[in-house]
Amino acid sequence: MLSAVISAFLNIGLLLVVIVTYVQNMRVIRSYYTSGLVLVASLLMLQNIVIILFWSTLYMDDKALMMSADMVSHYLFVINIIQTIGLFVLVWITRR
Amino acid sequence: MFCLVVQSYLLNNTTISKKEFFISLTRYEQSVFTTTINLPAFSFSGIFPRQLFSFLGTDGGQSGLDPRFKMILWSIIAGTRGGINRVKILNLLKTTPMNANKIATVMNLDYKTISHHVKILSKNNLVVKTEKDYGAEYYLTQIMKENQSVLEEIMQKIGTK
Repeated sequence: MLSAVISAFLNIGLLLVVIVTYVQNMRVIRSYYTSGLVLVASLLMLQNIVIILFWSTLYMDDKALMMSADMVSHYLFVINIIQTIGLFVLVWITRR
Repeated sequence: MFCLVVQSYLLNNTTISKKEFFISLTRYEQSVFTTTINLPAFSFSGIFPRQLFSFLGTDGGQSGLDPRFKMILWSIIAGTRGGINRVKILNLLKTTPMNANKIATVMNLDYKTISHHVKILSKNNLVVKTEKDYGAEYYLTQIMKENQSVLEEIMQKIGTK
């Protein structure tokens, strides 16, 4: 569970880097392309925030739910870590 | 589909034989696999304006622009940290080929920064270097020259700011 949460926070950090770059570019070039990039990255960030909120609610509400969340947390970890790898590549391309 | 046939067989198993059942099943399968489904004509462009999602521009690609190139150029410029400087370098090289040092002087930037940008542009096949060891000049590639209007479009958008 902890590793899944860490990777979700890592995703948020990486998305912050990407969003800052995209916003800097959008301030100079105002176009639907730059706005779209900011929107997509923001929505991905929202997704990760929702994941953290949703799972923390599950984890803290009830002991039975906490056990269920623990049982399936490795699925969440796999999803998050794949996203983290993808975002690492995106950050690398964006910050070059 | 198969379940439906089996269900009908189970319901009527007193009236048809096994052989009849398999014949009817084969006929049913044939009818399923040979039926053509006519979907109603649907187009996104009828709902959303074409220009909203297309890289072809307002002329619908009549100007000979390569939409894939346009997308790549936009990604390199709008999707990377040094994109703004990169488009300015491309705009400089549009008229006259220059070496990295001259570009750095004109743009009032560090030589290393320009060298890095030019390397990225070169890797993405937007500029090429003349075959000189010292002070090699950079100029636009053929595909970049053919799609200069994209560059102008981006420069206009920068100019408005």
